[in-house]
Amino acid sequence: MIHFENVSKRFPGGHYGVSDISLNIENGALAFITGHSGAGKSTLLRLIALLERPTRGQLLIDGRNIGRLPEKEIPAHRRNIGLIFQDHRLLNDRSVFDNVALPLHVQGFPVREVGKRVRASLDKVGLLKKEKVLPITLSGGEQQRVGIARAIVSRPPILLADEPTGNLDPELSREIMELFLAFNQIGITTLIASHDLDLINKLGRPVINLHRGELT
Amino acid sequence: MRVALSARLSAWFDQHRRSACRSYMEMRRRPLATLMTLLVIGITLALPASLLSLLKISQTMTGGHQQTASISLFLKSGIVNEKALRVATDLEQRPQVDHVELLTSADAMEEFRGHSGFGDALDALDENPLPNVLLIHLLPDSSSIEIRKLATELKEESVTDSIGYDQGWIERLQAITQAIRRAVQALGFGLGLAVMLIIGNTIRLEIMNRREEIEVTRLVGGSDNFIRRPFLYIGLIYGLFGALIAWLLVSILLMLVSGPLGRLAELYDTTISLTAFSLHALLLLIPIGISFGLAGAWLAVSRHLSSINPE
Repeated sequence: MIHFENVSKRFPGGHYGVSDISLNIENGALAFITGHSGAGKSTLLRLIALLERPTRGQLLIDGRNIGRLPEKEIPAHRRNIGLIFQDHRLLNDRSVFDNVALPLHVQGFPVREVGKRVRASLDKVGLLKKEKVLPITLSGGEQQRVGIARAIVSRPPILLADEPTGNLDPELSREIMELFLAFNQIGITTLIASHDLDLINKLGRPVINLHRGELT
Repeated sequence: MRVALSARLSAWFDQHRRSACRSYMEMRRRPLATLMTLLVIGITLALPASLLSLLKISQTMTGGHQQTASISLFLKSGIVNEKALRVATDLEQRPQVDHVELLTSADAMEEFRGHSGFGDALDALDENPLPNVLLIHLLPDSSSIEIRKLATELKEESVTDSIGYDQGWIERLQAITQAIRRAVQALGFGLGLAVMLIIGNTIRLEIMNRREEIEVTRLVGGSDNFIRRPFLYIGLIYGLFGALIAWLLVSILLMLVSGPLGRLAELYDTTISLTAFSLHALLLLIPIGISFGLAGAWLAVSRHLSSINPE
């Protein structure tokens, strides 16, 4: 599904985000990416979402080398990926419902379908009753769950989460991780960057460890 | 994803409706700033539009004369109506002449009585002092040289007492009007560009304000078209409402000048309908406002949108 072949990302100025990475993530897998801050966890995820382009090597998704994907095709590519961030990246001037509906709106889903999917998605993260409120009024854990609902609403085959539990206490972190496990159960390929080693070790899933941009 | 065409279409309309609504709400959120921008656009558009309207009115008033340039032939006092009619028929054979109208002394008396207010004084006269007049309407394409030549020939006719033709001032007026028209068009173009830049700048600020929204939309796979759309709608709305304000200003101006203009029109024996000019201004302003609005928005969007990428 996701195949890195000697991929490097060198930033302007000579600093490497990741360097000579080769790895393969099977369809439907769930893997964690660990490492210190600046080890390249985010860069790895950003490469898959084409928020960065690799400067060397091949990055294949479903057999396509996305490193060479024309600018115009990036939106279509991102629609296949649900992105989750530590700081949620929700829009605070619109309701929870509208936040979650955004991926469907950009894809031109029919109105009725949007309502159904948004509610199904909010239901999965346990926030069905909060659809009308503004995200700012929610707790950190709830905001993160809105972010997750937005990421899964269009049912993408790939889910990428960058430190999704970074700001949460252990109890909430565990809840969030369980959500990811549940989504993975229905076949979504999931990659989670995290440095919460205690939690990761308990879950017993494959771990990709990065150190200074390289696999260890 | 396979969805019926009608559903796709309705989703497309829904996307547009949503963009337009969002843009409208966004403008409503800052009513004062929006109103100021609209006023600036309105005044900028009103200036050339009102000048054009006034020009058009002056052209309508003098335009009648251009179509039927005419020579007045005052007949000698002894010429009776039957003879006058025969002369008229002869004159109609001439190449530049379209048709000839006989204004008898009695007709002329009536008209003079009506206009001058000397009714009582005229009654005191024993006989009608006014001559029979032939109004010689010329073909519209007659050149001023031809008209002058014809006038000279007519002067020599035995029945002619005197000749009246006064074409020069109308030509001069038309030349002046033409020159002013060009100037106003150039001015209008310049001010249109100004409107475009005003709208462009407003939208640039709007893009900066909605930076986060743009980034997040890119993150979830929003295409450039999708991201561009609400801003284009903002340009369109500014253009449209700016044009309506401009039209309001032009209409107020036309109302203010309607009194004096009405009197002026009377002197030219025409009536002018200001409603028509107001309507004409509206039909001119709306497409111009919308296109400059869209152009300004496009300018801003194509310059600034590509620089916003998610971090």
